Amino acid sequence: MAQVTRFKQRGWIGTILLLEIAKGMALTLKKLFSRSVTRQYPVERPSIALGFRGQHALVRNPDTGESLCVACMRCATVCPSKCIHITYHQDPETRKRIVDTYEIEALRCIYCGYCEEVCPVNAVVLTEVYEYASYDRPSVYYDKDRLLSNWDRFLGESGRDPKTYVNPFWRPRGADERTLPAKKRLPVPEEWTLEGQAKGIPLPVAASHGSHGGAH
Amino acid sequence: MEFVTTLIIILAVVAVVLLHVAYATYFERKVIGHMQVRMGPMRVGPHGLLQPIADFVKLFFKEDVVPAGVDRPVFYAAPIISLVASLSSLAAVPFARGLVIADINIGLLYIFAMSSVASYGVVLAGWASNSKYAFLGGLRSSAQVISYEIAMGLSLVGVMMSAGSLNLTDIVEAQKADFFGCYAIPQILGFFVFVVAMLAETNRTPFDLPECESELVAGYFTEYSGFRFALFMLAEYVGMVIMSTIAALCFLGGWHGPFDVPYIPNFWLLIKIYFMIFFYFWIRATLPRYRYDQLMRLGWKVLIPLALANIVVTGIVKTFIS
Amino acid sequence: MDTTRMKPVLEEEGELFTLQMGPQHPATHGVLKLDLELDGETVVRCRPVVGFLHRGVEKLAENMTYAQSMPLTDRLDYISAMANNVGHTVAVETLLGIEPPIRAKYIRTMVCEMSRISSHLLWLATHALDIGAMTVFLYCFREREWILDLFEELCGARLTTSYTRIGGVRQDVTGHFLESLLRFTDEFPEKVHEYETLIDTNRIWLDRTQGIGVLTAEEAVQLGLTGPSLRGSGVDYDIRKHRPYDAYPYLDFQVPLGTHGDVYDRYRCRMEEFHQSNHLIRQCIEKLPSGPILSEDAPDLVMDPRPKCVTADASLSAGLIKIIEERKHFMEGDVYVSTEVPKGELGFYFVSDGRGIPMRMHIRSPSYIHIGSLPALCEGGMISDVIANIGSLDVVLGECDR
Repeated sequence: MAQVTRFKQRGWIGTILLLEIAKGMALTLKKLFSRSVTRQYPVERPSIALGFRGQHALVRNPDTGESLCVACMRCATVCPSKCIHITYHQDPETRKRIVDTYEIEALRCIYCGYCEEVCPVNAVVLTEVYEYASYDRPSVYYDKDRLLSNWDRFLGESGRDPKTYVNPFWRPRGADERTLPAKKRLPVPEEWTLEGQAKGIPLPVAASHGSHGGAH
Repeated sequence: MEFVTTLIIILAVVAVVLLHVAYATYFERKVIGHMQVRMGPMRVGPHGLLQPIADFVKLFFKEDVVPAGVDRPVFYAAPIISLVASLSSLAAVPFARGLVIADINIGLLYIFAMSSVASYGVVLAGWASNSKYAFLGGLRSSAQVISYEIAMGLSLVGVMMSAGSLNLTDIVEAQKADFFGCYAIPQILGFFVFVVAMLAETNRTPFDLPECESELVAGYFTEYSGFRFALFMLAEYVGMVIMSTIAALCFLGGWHGPFDVPYIPNFWLLIKIYFMIFFYFWIRATLPRYRYDQLMRLGWKVLIPLALANIVVTGIVKTFIS
Repeated sequence: MDTTRMKPVLEEEGELFTLQMGPQHPATHGVLKLDLELDGETVVRCRPVVGFLHRGVEKLAENMTYAQSMPLTDRLDYISAMANNVGHTVAVETLLGIEPPIRAKYIRTMVCEMSRISSHLLWLATHALDIGAMTVFLYCFREREWILDLFEELCGARLTTSYTRIGGVRQDVTGHFLESLLRFTDEFPEKVHEYETLIDTNRIWLDRTQGIGVLTAEEAVQLGLTGPSLRGSGVDYDIRKHRPYDAYPYLDFQVPLGTHGDVYDRYRCRMEEFHQSNHLIRQCIEKLPSGPILSEDAPDLVMDPRPKCVTADASLSAGLIKIIEERKHFMEGDVYVSTEVPKGELGFYFVSDGRGIPMRMHIRSPSYIHIGSLPALCEGGMISDVIANIGSLDVVLGECDR
């Protein structure tokens, strides 16, 4: 086991000339002329990664304009914070479930993404929209219409094509195709499949040894 | 009508200094911001240039909260004492040859006296706030100011001995006649002690114990808000400007520079003052903070003996040369 | 002047002065409250008060499936959510008898070490800020931001990652992620050197940290310290070495140990761990095996004991549907599994009665136990040392109060 290195004893020259303080001050002076790493937020926007768990939405079926939800209740069951409320009735003829209300209480949500992962038809999604702060509670209590319009907002802001958009939680990267329900076997980039998964990167020999003790 | 002209000069000096102080806050935020690889104020005006004005407006219109249980008269008086004492020091500071409100021959002593009075504001604020953090801040401040006042006074004795005067204009002119053109080199020990004591005297990092936020929340002005808080800030920055000016006048050769700049008689002095203010910020961006007892130890066991040694050396050299 | 309303500032209790530091105080890292009794600036008695951030995580978890209670662990030590996720999942896997695939193990180790770096960065930032070196704060956040961006790319969230799944991880890494991470590990040692330039040998920093808050090895063990706080006193105890989990047995790393047990040694231990974690991440990137990331036995998120999962099996001809039988029962019994999170030993104790829901869950949170050592560290020191000591223990109140 390695012992930590205590500081090297300061010599009398270092003590008198304040060498270590001078070094620190040289560093801060150098940084004075370096480029700033912060961002002027409302003007410059961060690029949000695909699959960021942001504002909730219900995917709008491009053909019917309605939600894809089949009221299987899996999202409401799996939700750890119980923030999804669904009511439905059964069509007496076709025996299909028809969603009456679909509500997500965004203030209760903990953004774990379980709902989109268990949804068998990719109906619910956490979009990459992150600016939806509000001054009141009702406006973040999303009902079905609001959730559908959230999806429109997401498409509008991100410019994604609803036909080709695949959220990584709908079809987890590296998941075995066979274990997924039929609707979740979406066409995805090669890298997301089990076969095309990223390989380890061989390191240059010197670097893998040298990093042991760090920079000094 | 000498009275009216003096009044106009006073108003002009105060106005100019307060403007500098306002932009010193901006300068500080920009310098420290860039040293910390961020940008500092950017939103108010181009590159945040109007930030000090926005700050002023905000502080001026903020609600003035006076906590229950404070000693009201003292609570009200404390920030005013601080600021008035700081601003009074300006009277004896020459900003160029002849540009001084009161060219008194004990200028240096007068400035010391005033900066000591300024610390009364801090101590009283700590006492009157009826808050434990403020109280501790006030206690620390009184101890700190007393110990560093001595070191600072002693560090300037060498300068006085070399120049043979306490008048700041005379000191500057004496430096012109000196071999090095400034006292920072022959009085290097005194200069070092002065710079450290200067940081402590104005409660700046690494000696910002009276207001160190991570221990005492905000120290002596924890309970102050709005414009009373602004007065304390003003007093602190005016103190910084004055200390920087004294450093420039007593050690860096005042308004004399390597060459003359036409039309701006105090060009070099301004450059030197700005450098010293920059130095304050630079130190603040780099160093951690001392502990209370370590600060005392440094003051009494290191700085005061160093300053005394400087006096002895200066005396011997001066006797030897003459 | 109304003198009757003026309360004396000094509350006479003998000659002592009581200072209630916190729960709103800039240096108590959240909502820690310390009842200090001071003699001048010297701390005579220090009594920590915790519980201001209690959310009842353990009780909540008793009404949720194991999968559902995993996101709650993000909120324990919110600075190193990944490590908590892994701790919870390793415990549940031990209970249910599931072995994650090797690739998942490597990925987990990788994200654990990333979260160790990000947690130590935040610790260094705030510790330095408490002692007054505020530039280190911003430099640390610069690198922390980089790691958080990588987390965002990997799992869609920066802080509340919820990344692991029982039997593996949720999302596979991408080539882009690995490359950016490798670039980070290339540059990181230089950045650590930058922090060290500012504080490591600085005389003020040394004065503030050396000989402050000294704990001998024996005292540290008696107080139940774990993690770098214990190793700063020279006790060689690291769960990654002594009860290895995930990919740690296949990797090469060292455990930095201090000698004096003061604030400075605890600081040095964590600084060395930066390098060790960096080295571990590089090994994970290099050795990352191929294969699935989720075990075949992994229960689905709903964890319902009824047979539910209806899927078309690719091995059968189209149109045929095979019903995959759910396990009838999960394992019964109890299990305590601890992992090495950046703060120390994070243990999960589960009692299972065979349902998908724990009958009882207990979290052994290092922060809670570390706060218990504050009186031993602070008494006899000064107010400024209290701040240095809190910083050197690296406590997070979300984890302490649960």
